[in-house]
Amino acid sequence: MADRRRVNGPVGATIPPVFEDEEVQTQETQRVTRSRAPNGIRKMYLKTGVTPSASGSAYLEIETSGKDGVSGLKLSCTVHGPRSLPRSSPFSPHIILSTHVKFAPFATKQRRGYLRDPSERDLGTHLEAALRGAIIADRWPKSGVDIIISIIEGDQDRETSGAQGDDTWDMMNALSGCITVASAALADAGIDCVDTVAGGVAALVKDGGETGTARIVIDPISSEHESIEAACCIAYLPTRDEITNLWFKGDMPDHDMGIYSELVQQGIQASKLANRVLVESLGETVK
Amino acid sequence: MASTQHVLLSPAELAYLHEALSLTPPIRPDGRAPMQFRPLVAETEILPGTNGSARICFADGTEAIVGVKAEVERTRGYHGDEQEEGGEEEEEGGEERREGEREGQGEWVELTVEIPGYRDDDAGTAFLAAMLSEALLADGRFAKKLWISRRFHWKLFLDILLISPPLSYPLPLLSLTTHLALLSTRLPRLKSEGDEDPFFDDDWAAAPYLYPQGTTTTRPPITLLVMAVGRNIIFDPSKEELAVADVVLAVSVGEAATNSASTKGKGKAIGGMDIDSAAAQPGRSLRLLSVRTVDPPSRVTPPGMPNATNSAYGVAVSVQKQPEARTVEAQAVEGVWKAPRGGAKPAVMAALVQKVLERGGVADEVLDALEAVELG
Amino acid sequence: MPLDTSAYSLALLRVDGRRWNELRRIHAQIRTQAAADGSSYLEMGHTKVMCVVTGPSEPGPRRGTTGGAAAGASKAAAEVAVSVVVAGFSSVDRKKRGRGDKRNLELQSTISNALAASLHTHLFPHSVIQVSLHVLSQDGSLLAALINAATLACVDAGIPMTDYVVACTAGSTSTYAAGDESADPLLDLNHQEEQELPGLTVATLGETDRVAVLVCESRVQVGRLEGMLAVGVDGCKQVREILDRVVREKGKRMVLEGTVVKGEGLEDMDLD
Repeated sequence: MADRRRVNGPVGATIPPVFEDEEVQTQETQRVTRSRAPNGIRKMYLKTGVTPSASGSAYLEIETSGKDGVSGLKLSCTVHGPRSLPRSSPFSPHIILSTHVKFAPFATKQRRGYLRDPSERDLGTHLEAALRGAIIADRWPKSGVDIIISIIEGDQDRETSGAQGDDTWDMMNALSGCITVASAALADAGIDCVDTVAGGVAALVKDGGETGTARIVIDPISSEHESIEAACCIAYLPTRDEITNLWFKGDMPDHDMGIYSELVQQGIQASKLANRVLVESLGETVK
Repeated sequence: MASTQHVLLSPAELAYLHEALSLTPPIRPDGRAPMQFRPLVAETEILPGTNGSARICFADGTEAIVGVKAEVERTRGYHGDEQEEGGEEEEEGGEERREGEREGQGEWVELTVEIPGYRDDDAGTAFLAAMLSEALLADGRFAKKLWISRRFHWKLFLDILLISPPLSYPLPLLSLTTHLALLSTRLPRLKSEGDEDPFFDDDWAAAPYLYPQGTTTTRPPITLLVMAVGRNIIFDPSKEELAVADVVLAVSVGEAATNSASTKGKGKAIGGMDIDSAAAQPGRSLRLLSVRTVDPPSRVTPPGMPNATNSAYGVAVSVQKQPEARTVEAQAVEGVWKAPRGGAKPAVMAALVQKVLERGGVADEVLDALEAVELG
Repeated sequence: MPLDTSAYSLALLRVDGRRWNELRRIHAQIRTQAAADGSSYLEMGHTKVMCVVTGPSEPGPRRGTTGGAAAGASKAAAEVAVSVVVAGFSSVDRKKRGRGDKRNLELQSTISNALAASLHTHLFPHSVIQVSLHVLSQDGSLLAALINAATLACVDAGIPMTDYVVACTAGSTSTYAAGDESADPLLDLNHQEEQELPGLTVATLGETDRVAVLVCESRVQVGRLEGMLAVGVDGCKQVREILDRVVREKGKRMVLEGTVVKGEGLEDMDLD
């Protein structure tokens, strides 16, 4: 569907030339490799109550990996509601969640349009599944809540070429951030949840060329590894030991369940670490 | 959203259904065994205007049609001819690399899902499309099949139409139909060589299949819907069963190419050993490609009210006003339906995936059934 | 490739070998889908469409927000809601038509109006008859095929109607620009003919000469119009014969299988 509300560029657009400069080449050879421990997540900054006009809001920033030109993830989430449903909508015994995830047009290497594309809608559905398990929905019959997340800066390496960075893996990182920040914003809005839910990502990565062995790391950055074989994103409730959303994809080396279970375990671990930050930040707000 | 559509069941009916499904063995409303799929009718190559097509009808009346169309497209990064002439030297280097490096890109496949009554930008439809294409592209081998030369590739359009109104969550139906359509897909035979402009054989009979026939090593993936109620694992749930599910997973599996090929090869070489090796390893070995939780519609079902708190029943106490009302709300009363809260234990999720991957299990059975569908 | 019309005058044969008054092969099936209230599948040459009818049923919650005028009208009689989905793979070149496509909307409203006029919608106040049509393959005469498929599905759904609404297309052997006054009319245009020659779609109520739909989107001399219309109406009668046979055969088979009980007053029904 064409975006008719804004002035768009001419239809017969040409692809701008991409000039190769020396810098890229040098960067290529000195690929930044992961310096963190395989079971450590990046530092994150979380603050609630950043948007006064919303019922609840939160801002999340994940540190850059220390290399110039590599941005971290920056997310802002606002929660509007609980509020009454419009008169025309039918009766609902539960709160109706609606989640919107939108990349800012400038968030990624490739410019995003103003309309939500299918991948953003897909993220929204994942987020909804993750949060619906956490919210005690039957305390608000006949009401709705809107959760709006803007991804201000995506987790992308600007200097890797388009073909190299597989942005499908970045979507998992974005989703885990979305879950964490939305959980904080929900708590800020005072919506009852069974627990705080946080997202975590674990991946099976391969380094060191053809002969390299695969290993499992948490909170992966796709540009730091030669290839990512499989990854999973998990939304986890620590006190109940329950998973509300699981998204796994990849190419498993064999039909062995062992690696899969290990990935899930590591994903839970990552989620627990993120949850510590979340709980601490909420504690600070209370003080 | 397609999975959370309205189910017209009262809280009492939901409680009853939940109980019936948590028995050992579970009693399903349509009398199926927990691992049993709905019977289906399938046919392929129904539309001569497409590169491949298939139609599947489930016994409950849901029906889907998938059409595959392919177009030749220029690969990005190789636009102008000038560029090529200028980079003569580079090309020499590229020539050597080419054989080993048939890179495919996910963009070469475009998958659209059309469900009557839903907008095409509906979140549920986008979720279905993302899930189906994710499984297809997960192993990176599929996109490589679309490679023509360094400058050109096939762009594959998969249009998935649900013909009937969505009576149950259509994911397994759409996935199986897509599987068959891809199996029947043929691309014209390439006559040109190297990096010249592609030129194809007019003879459709000579067109090779995208997934070569006869070899079981490469087949498109399938996505199965599996849910858990209590300790029971139930495959291919109907709409009513989904309404009481504790957790629903969509699991995509493909055949493990290397493993099955090696066992097959051995069996043939030794000849007499064929039966033995088959007996030792019944069924095929499966590869896990993707797993997604599907938001179970049970979370938005109306809750029942226990008699203890029901003022209409005679206990005219204003429970809601008392401070302990919230604790009362959290307690489960037997026979009174309450929408499940929270998620699922990791062990339950692992068990679900394990069950799908089981040798000789449901996925195997479904793949066997699909293999039996005649092409053409 | 432009259509070569010069050959017609030599052998009086069209590009696909038909005479001027011949229909393409029509193949139809009803009750193709177990779960639907009514369903049908129709082929007119290479044009293939499927139709599923749901209803008459209570309007769902998602349809509650229609405009005030429409909501008022739906109280007295059932509303016929038609949705046409043109599959991306239906034409030679893959083309995705969105749901808001203007051509689609026009097809939908034409079919909806035609059906609403012949179905006894006043018997079902406060309800909706949902007709969803899927185009699987197109080779001309799309609107005619859609109307015929919708009629069959409505018959299958058991919705009372005055008569079959049957449609077919008619054209003329030479283009408007040729200005050829002696041009012969043609029946049932295929895609190639539809692109080049003037044509119209006509739907009639059963065997009567009462026209239910007449759509002409091309330029044609007034003098030729009458001939085209006459041929079109004649074609509709042939189409009705075919559709009627399909319905009767299916009915016969269902009675033989015992799926339905033979109705009263049908003692003379031939069950060989």
